[in-house]
Amino acid sequence: MYSVEFKNITKRFGNLTANDNISLSIKSNSVHCILGENGAGKSTLMKILFGVYKQDSGEIYIKGKKISFNSPLDAIDSGIGMLYQHFMLIDDFTVMENVILGKELTAGLKLNFPKIRKALLEIIGRYNLNVELDRKVSDLSISEQQKVELLKILYRDSGIIILDEPTAVLSPVEVYEFFNIVRNFIKDGRTVLLITHKLAEVKEIAETVTVLRKGKNVYETERKKLDIGELSRQIIGDIFPKEKIKEEDIEYISGKQKKPACVVKLERISYSEKGKNILNNFELNINEGEIIGVCGVEGNGQNEITDILTGIIKNYKGEYERKTDNISVVPDDRLKKGMIKEFSVGESILLRKKGENKITQKRALYRENEIKKMYDIMIPYPGCPMAKLSGGNQQKAIVAREIQLDSKFIIFSHPTRGVDIKASSFIYNKIIGEKNKGNAILLISSDVDELIFLSDRIVILYKGRILKEYTKEEIGKSLETGRMKFLEEVGKYMIGITE
Amino acid sequence: MKRKLIKNITSVFLSVLVTLFITALLLIIVGRNPVEVFSMMFYDVFASGYGLGQAFFKATPLIFCSTGLAICFHASLFNIGAEGQLNAGAFAIAVSSVVFSFLPVWLLLPVSLLAGFFVSGIFGLIPAYIKIKKGVSEVITTIMLNFIVMAVINYLLINFFAVKATFRTEKISDSLMLPKFSDYTDYFQGSSLNLSFIVSILFAIIVFYVIYKTKFGYQIRSVGFNPVASKYLGINVNKTTILAFVIGAGITSLVGLNYIMGYKGYYEYGFSSNVGFTAIAVALLAKNNPVGIIFSALLFGVLDYGGLAVNTIVPKEIMFVVQAIVILSIISTDKIVESFFENKILKIGNNLGNT
Repeated sequence: MYSVEFKNITKRFGNLTANDNISLSIKSNSVHCILGENGAGKSTLMKILFGVYKQDSGEIYIKGKKISFNSPLDAIDSGIGMLYQHFMLIDDFTVMENVILGKELTAGLKLNFPKIRKALLEIIGRYNLNVELDRKVSDLSISEQQKVELLKILYRDSGIIILDEPTAVLSPVEVYEFFNIVRNFIKDGRTVLLITHKLAEVKEIAETVTVLRKGKNVYETERKKLDIGELSRQIIGDIFPKEKIKEEDIEYISGKQKKPACVVKLERISYSEKGKNILNNFELNINEGEIIGVCGVEGNGQNEITDILTGIIKNYKGEYERKTDNISVVPDDRLKKGMIKEFSVGESILLRKKGENKITQKRALYRENEIKKMYDIMIPYPGCPMAKLSGGNQQKAIVAREIQLDSKFIIFSHPTRGVDIKASSFIYNKIIGEKNKGNAILLISSDVDELIFLSDRIVILYKGRILKEYTKEEIGKSLETGRMKFLEEVGKYMIGITE
Repeated sequence: MKRKLIKNITSVFLSVLVTLFITALLLIIVGRNPVEVFSMMFYDVFASGYGLGQAFFKATPLIFCSTGLAICFHASLFNIGAEGQLNAGAFAIAVSSVVFSFLPVWLLLPVSLLAGFFVSGIFGLIPAYIKIKKGVSEVITTIMLNFIVMAVINYLLINFFAVKATFRTEKISDSLMLPKFSDYTDYFQGSSLNLSFIVSILFAIIVFYVIYKTKFGYQIRSVGFNPVASKYLGINVNKTTILAFVIGAGITSLVGLNYIMGYKGYYEYGFSSNVGFTAIAVALLAKNNPVGIIFSALLFGVLDYGGLAVNTIVPKEIMFVVQAIVILSIISTDKIVESFFENKILKIGNNLGNT
């Protein structure tokens, strides 16, 4: 029995074919993973299912019945729920208010709060969702906000749940927790469509896997026959570039090693906001040609460190020394902090660059072309606003923009969040390139593998202070004794357990 | 850019058509013949130099004021206080022209215009400062400041600057008066159209250039689009907010240039007859594009004078209704044209873009 069947779905945007005659069947009561690069057509297909877009041709069947949605409301009514990558929550409302928006249980004209609360508490208990109903959304961490979104979907009792890259914003511990929730969905007879970039997750949870490439369904396999190597080949279509970088990295490590000079120095930095201590005696040195990895669960002071280093926060206590005026920063949230989505790639580069006082279309296009070639960025048409680029390409454009500044100090905050393998390895390459130029780099991430791969030193941040520091040698040694054991150790420090 | 232009022109054109249609219906309902009313209106405006001149004359203050407002709007500052700001500035222009009348004209002109810019600018600085320091919405502060400004001017006028038994200042020196079009050509005979019309167009073009082609303009728009990201792009958001508000408010003072130096020669209480509010609609219609503002102000000028022209057969208030319908229809046709372009024209646009 299939929950959802796509039959010959085709969707075009201008002369770009996002979905090219895709046929796909989703088994009931299972997790079906959809893999593919940024721009492979995964999100488009899901948005068609959810009624955001309408397909140009083809049909969709739900539980054997042909359907045609005109808006997400129709889809919700048919029992489909979607967890977007970017949450649709109202910051000033409480969790409960957010959840009941659009589906209010009323007693006459009055909202029947006791009844709603009871229903919600029941859902929270059953799925271990762990959110307080009366807290304001603006006070919640990203993973808690994600749970609110899930609560919304469950409150509407959706039987088919679309998860669009749900773990991109989670730390390893949270991912573990999240998958337990997803397993409970299956136990309860729901069907899950999971879009992801991370192959490890596919291995962990998928029942069936489909790979989309350039809008086409190119590969499908079952859990029993799952082969990660084959999957990655199918996703990219040619070689697996991550391996290539590793060689270069090893070359660098075994190569020249000179005495580096300190570029950025933070001493006894403390910072509090609204009476809450965020940073406590935080200390950090970054030398030239060095990548310092900051590891931690989100909300332990990472953003505040970035803001102090870039000068956005000024009222901190402690000493901050820096031997360079220019700082480049790739912020953690590309939509909110990373770019002005209305401007084109070229325009944002000119806007960011010092001494560029005239910004004409011609100059912007020239810059755009330059960057497009160097960074292999897909831009739908020359001078198009950044909003129209896919997530991975937006991120590449931001990285390109910041590297173009030729700063001696660069902050990368979650540089590959929500970015596919190909673009990630491209960005890793660029980060290593900047390090080899002798620039000081701060890498903030919750992806431990990424940190191990890139960093010369890793510090673990917990509640605004450094709980543990690893040098490259220590990391190397630990890895020899077993990767899983090391990850477990790091994971413990991340949630504040010091033994 | 090209695609956007075609899109905007289409939607404006459509909305004007829709407006004419709805207005015609309204006229039929009140028992008038729309053909008669429209032809009378357009005849009066376009058949004589006087009509055309008056329409342009009415458009001039709108161009100045909307251009100033556009700067604020691009920074996402919803300045509702233009009425107060322009009155303060115009009053300052009139008073300083009289007080410093001992100065030679080449010095007096810039001094009094700067005084106007400065005083209007202060009433942009106050809401900007309160917004930055205390987070109070500029919508509230600027509305309130309108009342305060008018009360202060009233007080100053009555107690210090007014000519006895009137609500106006003394007349400025004739040498400060701007040349009128009718001084040079008989075509505009009798119309008050003056040099400030040309100044206003030049001004709009300059502001267009600043907003769309300079880094400062990009910074203003960047702050308007996304203040958080602007910080990470290294833009001083507070400074940009203040500058946009002060410059935008300052420019509204030039409404006084048209009225005082181009027309009456003095400041009169209530002279602006809500230009500061109409200008919001004009800027909205032009999507805050200063060059577009020139055209939307001209449209409003035509409607404004056209309303006077048909006053004999329908109340001139009908033109306020028309202005309102224009705004409503542009907002709705915008969406329709948008989706049409996304679906049908995108392909052509892409091909154009690729060549």
